[in-house]
Amino acid sequence: MIIEHPLLGPRDAAEFVYLGDASLIDRPDWQAEDAAERFYEYGYLRDNPAGEHQELWYHEQGDRSWLVVTRNTMSHEITKVELARDVAKARGRNT
Amino acid sequence: MTQADTTLNFVSGDEKAVKTVPVSGQVNRVGTGLINPNQKLKFSFNGKEMTGFAGDTLASALLANGQRLVGRSFKYHRPRGILTAGSEEPNALVELRGGAAQEPNTRATVTELFDGLEAKSQNHRGSLNFDVMAITDFASPFLTAGFYYKTFMWPKAFWEKLYEPIIRKAAGLGSLSMKEDPDSYDKGFLHCDLLVIGAGPSGLTAALAAARSGARVILADEDFLPGGRLNAEALEVGGQSGSQWAANAVAELTSMDNVRLMTRTTVYGAYDHGVYGALERRTDHLAKSEGKPRQILWRIYSKRAVLAAGSTERPIAFGNNDRPGIMLAGAVRTYVNRFGVVPGKEMAVFTNNDDGWQTALDLQNAGVDLMAVIDSRDVDAPVSLPGVRHLRGQGIVNTIGRKGVKAVETTGGVTLPVDAVAVSGGWNTNVHLT
Repeated sequence: MIIEHPLLGPRDAAEFVYLGDASLIDRPDWQAEDAAERFYEYGYLRDNPAGEHQELWYHEQGDRSWLVVTRNTMSHEITKVELARDVAKARGRNT
Repeated sequence: MTQADTTLNFVSGDEKAVKTVPVSGQVNRVGTGLINPNQKLKFSFNGKEMTGFAGDTLASALLANGQRLVGRSFKYHRPRGILTAGSEEPNALVELRGGAAQEPNTRATVTELFDGLEAKSQNHRGSLNFDVMAITDFASPFLTAGFYYKTFMWPKAFWEKLYEPIIRKAAGLGSLSMKEDPDSYDKGFLHCDLLVIGAGPSGLTAALAAARSGARVILADEDFLPGGRLNAEALEVGGQSGSQWAANAVAELTSMDNVRLMTRTTVYGAYDHGVYGALERRTDHLAKSEGKPRQILWRIYSKRAVLAAGSTERPIAFGNNDRPGIMLAGAVRTYVNRFGVVPGKEMAVFTNNDDGWQTALDLQNAGVDLMAVIDSRDVDAPVSLPGVRHLRGQGIVNTIGRKGVKAVETTGGVTLPVDAVAVSGGWNTNVHLT
């Protein structure tokens, strides 16, 4: 498997560590009314799609960047690779 | 030839083949094929000294020495011979070398012969010729599936300590040395634009076309001699022999900087996003590895790949079709044309397609007495073979012989005395990797 790193180009999957669903970026607000319920969902509930899936990959053996990889779980085709930082910023986070 | 007591005549072109005086011991050697007759190699099989030539495989050298029986089957210890001439070999599994480097279950058909090679047959108690465990074959009607588990049930404690160790020892193939592996192994990474898997006619043509356009090409083939069936057929390509055409193509490819030709390399898997796994055997064809890595595991990154892995011939099912001497017809052609070896002196060809007739033709040109061509189809002979019996619309129903085929019986009630049979059931394209 090869991941097209946005800064470094195509890199072997062996250089990366897989973390999981990219929804982990969206950490709930701990001060919200329903914080307990939302943290339970954040901690335990995951979609398991047969098809396109967004996931977090950590370039441990490389530049140590976090990536959001859009991968088809049926075909292993990778359609999009973004820096997790950019994704988080686009969703309104400042870091 | 280097030794005065040996002669080897070339069988060429239209000239009627002459039965030659064999090289001492090599009773079935009828020509030179693509071997190097000036480089004689000594090897041993079960301690018996034999000779072959550079360019031989262990299988072709064993056949040349008239050794039809090369092993015993897994459960019933039935005598087994060489069936194929390539990596698809199911029968001719042997133990190579000795001491810590001992390697069990190696296919004799892909083992390159070297001077001093020691090979042993597997899975027999007593000698290969007199295997006391062959009794299981005669008792086979009683040894049905589940026999052991139903029979050896009590006392319960005996199973693990007594019954199972004995049963396990009775079956199985080679044995391990139980010593530390003395060799070293390596791994590596390669990158290219095009990976061509298989260096037969298609693979060589694809590699040439890509290489001439400037692409970075890796051409991998499991054989030590690239060319695939071009080396195994008596055919002409562009006015030259198939093997010569292959040699010229290889020469052009090796002269190019953008081509890496990897022989003795098996591409075993294709993974996501253009990653391929390959195993290169670096020193298996040498007597000693001398510090060099024995095998290298390559990870090949390629933009595109061409799978040109050739075809595998199908056998035909008939009674006792596992006797030594019964071989695939395409493999027989390989031994005749590439190695100058005939599997027997009196042979029959059993085919259900036109390709088997090519084997008959090549065998006749090599001076083999063809007892008959048995064609399961009711059709005219596609090849003219004067003096050869054509059994139309017949098949083999049974074979006679124990340690090697002695005769075959056909559906038409004909019994033919033979010492080898070439069987062709048509070809399947290899759309898989190993």
